[in-house]
Amino acid sequence: MARRFARRRDGHVDATFERGELDLLEGLPEQLRTLYGTDDEDPARTRLFPRAYLDPTEEQAEAEWQALVHPGLMEARLDALTTLETTIAAAEPTRRDRLVVRLSAEQANAWLGVLNDARLALGSRLGITDDTELATLDPSDPNAPTLAAYGWLTYLEGELVETLLGDLPG
Amino acid sequence: MSTAPPAPPAPLEVQEPEQEEVVVTDRPWLVIVWNDPVNLMSYVVLVFQKLFGYSRDKATRLMLQVHHDGKAVVSDGNREKAEADVARLHAHGLWATMEHPS
Repeated sequence: MARRFARRRDGHVDATFERGELDLLEGLPEQLRTLYGTDDEDPARTRLFPRAYLDPTEEQAEAEWQALVHPGLMEARLDALTTLETTIAAAEPTRRDRLVVRLSAEQANAWLGVLNDARLALGSRLGITDDTELATLDPSDPNAPTLAAYGWLTYLEGELVETLLGDLPG
Repeated sequence: MSTAPPAPPAPLEVQEPEQEEVVVTDRPWLVIVWNDPVNLMSYVVLVFQKLFGYSRDKATRLMLQVHHDGKAVVSDGNREKAEADVARLHAHGLWATMEHPS
């Protein structure tokens, strides 16, 4: 099988998928938009928007910092979701019944951000720990489908990271 | 034999060294990244290289420190710089905080 992410000479990254895989990815923006808009008590949202200051005497600095940076952090996240959607919508079919999504360097980084946020959110919901075993899923576990999705997103993000690390000094 | 009363303490001239105040004011804020079970080790290396311009070696060392020790200081500076670095780390999904060592 062709490499999942292939670096092209002009700097683009071509990402090759089966239709069902793109369906899974296309479902992420709606879930993440809902999560971003939810209240601060949700542990998954807290994980995506953590505090800067642990020191309780810095409460005012924390509030000022959040007021300053959170709108920008939110906007960047929403932009990344839009990038994922528009690039998937422009996917082109290959002769081998797959779909190729062509990504600029900037778009590839937006994808990376979405994949990472999705995994952080799922990981928080699933209570992922360092010891969570993804290789052997128990089919009777009600979380098995979500764990499988988490595992696939982990694999996918790992592949994209390896591709993008190639752009940085080794 | 009696024991002599303890000598009165020599008068101490309490000198508040001015320099120390300066040092306290200048002590940098530390930006700390905490271990979490989700972020990929390779991803954390990528983020450290991208955000701070670190070499692959330095980024890898810091990532391993986070992984093994639970946390690592990844940058420092004045309050404004530390706040900006924490925001950039949060934008990339890393669990980062800042603190001023006392």
